[in-house]
This record gives sequence, structure tokens and C-alpha cells, in this order.
Amino acid sequence: MSNSQKPPSFLYAALRVFDLSLGEMLWSRRTVFMGLVVGLPVLIAVIIRGLYALGAPAMHVNNATVTGPVVFGLMMWAFFIRFSVPVLGVFYGTSLIADEVEDKTITYLFSRPIPRGAVLVGKYLAYLVCTICVVLPSVVLVWLLIVPMGGSLGLHFIDLVKDLGLLALGLAVYGAVFALIGAAMKRPLLIGLLYVFGWETVVMLIPGYLKRFSVAYYLQGLVPHAMPSDSPLSLIQGIFREVPTLSEGLFWMAVICLGSLWLASRTVTRKEYVLEQ
Amino acid sequence: MTQRTRYFLTGSSLVLMVGLATGLVAFYNGSLPLGASTMEQSEFTYLPADSTAVAYADVRAIMDSEFRQKLRQVLPTGEEKDKLQAETGIDIERDIDTVVASFSGNRPDPSGAVVLVRGRFNDVQVETLARQHGAQVEEYRGKRMLLMTHDGPRMQPDGTTASAPSVGGLAFLEPGLMALGESAALKRAIDTNATKDDITKNADLMGLANDVRGGSNAWVVGRFDEMAGSPMMPEQVRAHLPAVQLFAVSAHVNGGVNGMIRADTRDDQAAEQLRDVVRGALAAGKLMAGQDAKIGAMLNSLQMTGTGKTVSLSFTVPAEVLDLLNGVAAMQNLGTGGIRK
Repeated sequence: MSNSQKPPSFLYAALRVFDLSLGEMLWSRRTVFMGLVVGLPVLIAVIIRGLYALGAPAMHVNNATVTGPVVFGLMMWAFFIRFSVPVLGVFYGTSLIADEVEDKTITYLFSRPIPRGAVLVGKYLAYLVCTICVVLPSVVLVWLLIVPMGGSLGLHFIDLVKDLGLLALGLAVYGAVFALIGAAMKRPLLIGLLYVFGWETVVMLIPGYLKRFSVAYYLQGLVPHAMPSDSPLSLIQGIFREVPTLSEGLFWMAVICLGSLWLASRTVTRKEYVLEQ
Repeated sequence: MTQRTRYFLTGSSLVLMVGLATGLVAFYNGSLPLGASTMEQSEFTYLPADSTAVAYADVRAIMDSEFRQKLRQVLPTGEEKDKLQAETGIDIERDIDTVVASFSGNRPDPSGAVVLVRGRFNDVQVETLARQHGAQVEEYRGKRMLLMTHDGPRMQPDGTTASAPSVGGLAFLEPGLMALGESAALKRAIDTNATKDDITKNADLMGLANDVRGGSNAWVVGRFDEMAGSPMMPEQVRAHLPAVQLFAVSAHVNGGVNGMIRADTRDDQAAEQLRDVVRGALAAGKLMAGQDAKIGAMLNSLQMTGTGKTVSLSFTVPAEVLDLLNGVAAMQNLGTGGIRK
């Protein structure tokens, strides 16, 4: 008697892998690192708010009074846009497949009757939910603590919504790019870190079209807060800064995200992973 | 999915939802017409729908601010303030709570401008004093107006000035609310209130006003493209900002002044060009400021924001700058042999 049971669809398989991977990802050592990365801004916000409540004098930067919304904008840039989003993308994105190869457990996944690409997509979705559920609440807490210090929650609510949308989009795009790097290359973590702190930092300082080959160009261009000019590098970046239009930024980020994910899925499907003994 | 994963996801979603709900409530209470104070809404019903610009000032908060106290030491007390008090008995510093003004059309004469003042007025005293100064009483749609004829230089439509008589004064609109302006503007304000064709029907200006008025105690919003046609507008400004459609300036005055200047352009490209101009000006300013700590502080407080068609520049005038001005004023007075208190 022949087995008439059909293999599960791509979407169903991806969701099954998502369900399996989410818990693993959430309770891994990597999440402790993520907790530290996004917990630090909350801790700083609590300290600042505590000082404010105790009647500490208004904050000054170069003798200028700094209000809560300005501090929130600076924290968004320094902690989230420039650091947390790309770093979490690197650490989680590159590990989606690389960890399974390293732990020699990829055989168990690939031997199941599901499309190989669904394994990557399921794990990518788990990464996205995992990071979004940690990063966005942290931003909301910082916003609730900092913005009322000389600012209005109502007035800056739209900016918060934009920030949350941008962070989710940034995590999605960076995650997809590094999922591709993780699926296609050896030592993906090193390459990912070089990309974020080498390539993206350098091209953003150079006038010309090269910055269009970075995620940061499209992501940072949509940030509703003023870019801080706290260092010579930031000052140079501010002078040569070009800002894509909203539609251009969204379009290219969607292209990068979907394109990288498709290529990563294709790579996983075709590549033979050799497990080192 | 395990139980603790579910708990974590639920907790995370709750934090996110509570934060967003708080923001949403604050947004609706502080920024939208529904949440605007009843007083402000009442004033809006007297401003014509075709207003080119609208301004608001919480005079009470500004007068009580530390900034104002410091400013008083630098600036003269003002003859116009004394004149208004002599003619009407109204003390700007004590009797006025808020001022809302609107300007219609692009003509240089003041016939399109009306100023609504809310505060504590003794109507009888105001009328008696105004009559002593030659004011005539007129009723219009049940509202009492005190009008005076002035002879003086008036700006003509071509931008030149010529001597011409004008009839202006004030109208008692509601208890505690009076309007100042020329006779035609006062009558138009009363008509607007009766016909309900008011500024709340002007979606562009109201949208902009809703964006800027939360958290500030003084603001002005307007249609730059319409005002640019006025001969009063300097040619240099008109030539360099052709793509700006709407503008807004808001400020929160307390110890210092925190404010924001915003321009909405006709398209993204025009906004980007404007951003380049502002960026260049800021960079040049920082270079020229050199080692001057005070100017450096002022320039460092300038922050450019905005995406799409919006360009915003926030600024801070710290109280220290006024201390500096006080110092300069004191030095000048020492040189001329007197100190202004």
C-alpha cells in the first residue's frame, strides 16, 4: 500500500519551524546578550528620570538645555538605530543556519519532508518575533520615561509610531541580509560585523553613490529625529548626508529584505552543508 | 510553543500596547480638535476659514515665566502697553490670559487682521475710557463695538505708504473675550461666528496647528505660498523659498525658550533642497562660531528633523543667553550713566 500523505506546504512547514525555533531562540544565551543590549537604555532612562524626579537641574549639552524629546531622539540614534538593530541582525541572522551546522543538527531538519527553504524562513520569522518582542517594548519604556521631561507624549506620539515601525523594518532587513550571509558563507559573524562596523560606517562618510549599497542609508534616512553631531565622524556624516525619500527608502528596503530572503532560501535549498567531524 | 514563551510574548505585547495606548490617549487629548481647550475652540469660531495665518499665545504663562522676568530687565517697558492701558484700562501683564490672531489675504493693510483677547475686563470701564478718547459705539449683529477713526500712514497694495483714515477699535464678543482690529475685520469675525464658516473648516491650517500646539505656549501657523504674494514679504525671502507651502513656528517659554520652526514643501525634492540649505547654514555657523561658547551653545541646540515634505528645525534659547544680554545692557547703561531696573 502506497503512502498517500502529501508533504506539508511551504507556509505550513515554515510555521512549524517557526513554532519550534521561537522558544529555542528566546531562551538561548544569545537572548541574555540581547537583554543587555536593549536593557541598558532602559536603565539609563530610569536613572535620568529618577534624577529629574529628585529635582536635579535640567540637562545641558554645550550649555544648551536639553529636553526629554531631544534626549529620546539621541538615545534612539545611539542605542537603537546605530547599534542594537544592526548588531542583533548580525548575531541572530548569521546564526539561523550556521548554528544548526555548527551543532550538527541541520541533518535532522533537512531529513524532514519539508522544503529546505521553509526551514530558513521559519527560523527567520522566529528571529523577527523574538527581537521585535524585546526591542520594541524597551523603546516604549524609554519613551514613557524620557519624553515627559519637558516634552509632551501626545506631541511626540507620531514620532514613536514611526520609530517603532522603523525598528521593526530595520530588524527585518538586517536579519534577511545576514540570514543570506549566514547561509552562503563561512565565518558569517565576522563578515557581518565587518559589514556593519566597517563597510556601512565608511560608505556613510563618503559622498557619492556607494552609500546606496548599505541598509543604513535607507534606514537612517527615515529616522524622524535629528542626527546627533557628537563626534567628528558624525559631523562629517551630517555634512555629506543624503536622505532618500520615504517611498524610495521603503521600496529599496523591501527589495533588499525580500531579495535577501529569497536568495538565502535558494542557497539553503541548493547548498550541501558539510558537517565537520 | 511552551508556556513560558507564551507568557513572555504576552508580557511583551502588553508593555507595547500600554505604551501605545498611553501615547494615543495623550495624542487625542493634547493634539486634536476634540481635545483642544474649550476656550481656544471658542476663539477659532471667529476666525475666517480663508485665514492665511493664525497665531496663539498663552500670555499668562509667558508673563509668569522666568524668561519674561529676565527679558523685562533687558527690554524697555513699552509705550504701546501704557497707551492701551490709558485708553482702555487693560493691563496686558495682569488682565490678559490668551491672545489669538488671524490674518487673511496677502494685502499689506491691516483690514484682514483680527486679534482676539481673552482675559478679565471691566466692560463698563473699557467703554467709558474709550469714549473719553473719542470712540463711537456701534452695534453689529448684537455685538457692541467701540470704533475710533485714526489718521496715519497706511501701507497701500503696491507696498508704498500713504496717509489715509482708518476706522478701528474693539468689539465685545463674549464675556471675557474681545476682538481688536479694523472695523471691517471685526464685522467679518462676527459674521464668521454667525455663519460658522470658520477656521476649523481649513484642514491645512488646522492640521498644522494641531501638530504644533501641544506642549507649546506660543505658536503661529500659516500658508507661506499665499503670504509670499504680499509686498511686505522681502524679495530675498520670496526668491529663496518658492517651494514652501505651509510654515509653523512654536515655542515653549519658561526658563528659556524651546521652539521649533517647521516648513512643509510642495514635494520631497524641494524639502531635500531646503534641508541642504539649512544643513549648510548650520555647518557654516558652527565653523564661524569658533571658540565663542555662547554662540556655540545656541548653534548646538539647533536640531534639524523631518522626513518627506517636512523640514523642522528645533532650537533652544537658554536662560544664560539672557544673562549675557543683561550683562551687555548693564555695561551700556554704566557707560551712559544709568541702570535700568
